[in-house]
Amino acid sequence: MSVILSLKNISKSYGRIKALNNVSFDVQAGSVFGILGPNGSGKSTLLGIVMDVLHASGGHYTWFGSPPSEKQRREIGTLLETPNFYHYLSGVRNLEITAAIKAKPVSDIARVLKLVRLYERKDSKFQTYSLGMKQRLAIAACLLGDPDVLVFDEPTNGLDPSGIAEIRQLIIELSAAGKTIILASHLLAEVEKVCTHIAILQRGVLIKSGDVLSSLSQEYWIELGTTDMDKLRGIINFLPGVKKVTLSGHLLQIYFDSSTPDAALVNRFCFDQGITLNYLQVRKKSLESAFIELTGNVSN
Amino acid sequence: MHEFMNTLRVEWLKLKYYRTFWILLAVTAVCIPAFNYVIYDITDNSFPKINGKSLLGNPFSFPNVWSTVPFNAGILLFIPAILIITLFTNEYSYRTHRQNIIDGWSRSRFIYIKVLEIFILTLFVTAIVVLTCLYFGFLTKTAVQPKAGWEQYRFILYFFVEMLDYSLIAVLFATLIRRAGLAMGIFFLYMIIEQFVVSLGRNKYKKEWVDYLPEEVSDRLIPQPFARKILAPGNNGLWEKHVPLYLSIAVLYIIIYILIISWRFRKSDL
Repeated sequence: MSVILSLKNISKSYGRIKALNNVSFDVQAGSVFGILGPNGSGKSTLLGIVMDVLHASGGHYTWFGSPPSEKQRREIGTLLETPNFYHYLSGVRNLEITAAIKAKPVSDIARVLKLVRLYERKDSKFQTYSLGMKQRLAIAACLLGDPDVLVFDEPTNGLDPSGIAEIRQLIIELSAAGKTIILASHLLAEVEKVCTHIAILQRGVLIKSGDVLSSLSQEYWIELGTTDMDKLRGIINFLPGVKKVTLSGHLLQIYFDSSTPDAALVNRFCFDQGITLNYLQVRKKSLESAFIELTGNVSN
Repeated sequence: MHEFMNTLRVEWLKLKYYRTFWILLAVTAVCIPAFNYVIYDITDNSFPKINGKSLLGNPFSFPNVWSTVPFNAGILLFIPAILIITLFTNEYSYRTHRQNIIDGWSRSRFIYIKVLEIFILTLFVTAIVVLTCLYFGFLTKTAVQPKAGWEQYRFILYFFVEMLDYSLIAVLFATLIRRAGLAMGIFFLYMIIEQFVVSLGRNKYKKEWVDYLPEEVSDRLIPQPFARKILAPGNNGLWEKHVPLYLSIAVLYIIIYILIISWRFRKSDL
């Protein structure tokens, strides 16, 4: 698998403040690579450096195995921080400028505008767009020319729940089409649904990187409910493989030694003990809990 | 060549539908002949005539008109400066200076095309000045001097240099300050302060170096054209002697401005 982006010891200082400290990782072709971290952890600084709008204080990076150049950036669809367009121009005229800079055909503009549901408003001035529409225009600009690599920094900013779901679906479809996606976000629940690989930053330091499965502890548990909770609590510790039992509201949470619990086995065990369950749910530790465990930070 | 034309086309796309650009360009194009007409009217009608000739001479007749119109137009250079500051600071306030780089321009490309845009704008305004010269020359019913040559036409080149000088000072302030209102305020403040220093230095302290300050040196390329025999007798020879130095220093300033603007944009975080 080829490396799309490779970072080697990237550092960035603002006076005495170290925004990034020796960050190194590789992004493989075809992956959806999430760069995670709380606000101020250095995600946007990192992407700013690889898109040449910020200068690194140390280290180097390559795109497609070569030193960075303006021609490489034309082959990458990038949304960095905010949608940046000429306020006095319409959506379509702004995209004409993007297409001209990227040397992509103007004929592709209609396709990308339809993809983000902005085609009907293409002739309205950018300054009349809502925050969500501005964000969708920026995503349309990224998709011009159907690039193989996309860089999204907080792509769901300003979008309503249905807009967020659409962008999530778009990322899944792009990934399925073989695109490489680098996605910086502090919305861990969103990232969890789409990423194959992650890098976790905390105060400019890379604390973890790799594929999602090996980077985060994959802890599962089962939640049980019944009319006779006292009886259930009394017998559940005899269930083979149980590590820990906690009470959460009206439900019992059962943690196991093995990674994936067998729900059918638990159900049968309870039934054999004369307990009829009215609630049984296998739960997985969310990326957010795993993230908090790793960083000691509550994400926002 | 294709890449260069495409870069130029992007700048054109930015300007083509920008109303403020066309309004300020039209204001510049209208104000140069209009302001000259006001001065022409004053010189023609408001001063006593001796033997049917104005006391101020015939500044709007050929060949004098070639220095009169550029001199008057030089007073209006703050108008294109406002336009230039607006165009540059727009990129910063919309953060499109970042986006252009992200989308695939190098920082050098962004700056060289902007500087080229300034050259094109300066050429356009210079063309307006030439047309205004011809209009007043023919208005005053004087024939084009058969001997009219470099001596007269060089003022057009000097105007071009003067406008470039003013425009690049405007770009310098816009690049360093990044905010339209503040950049314009400081640009005007600088114009006033420099004139104050020049007046004080020249008249009170008799210091020659004030003649070589950034705006003054380019102003000195076109001496005031009215009643020069009365108001500045004997100064012509001195001016002729100094003009190559004024021109060299003005061009040197232009080069320095371009180097600073380019260095600043290439080296700073965007």
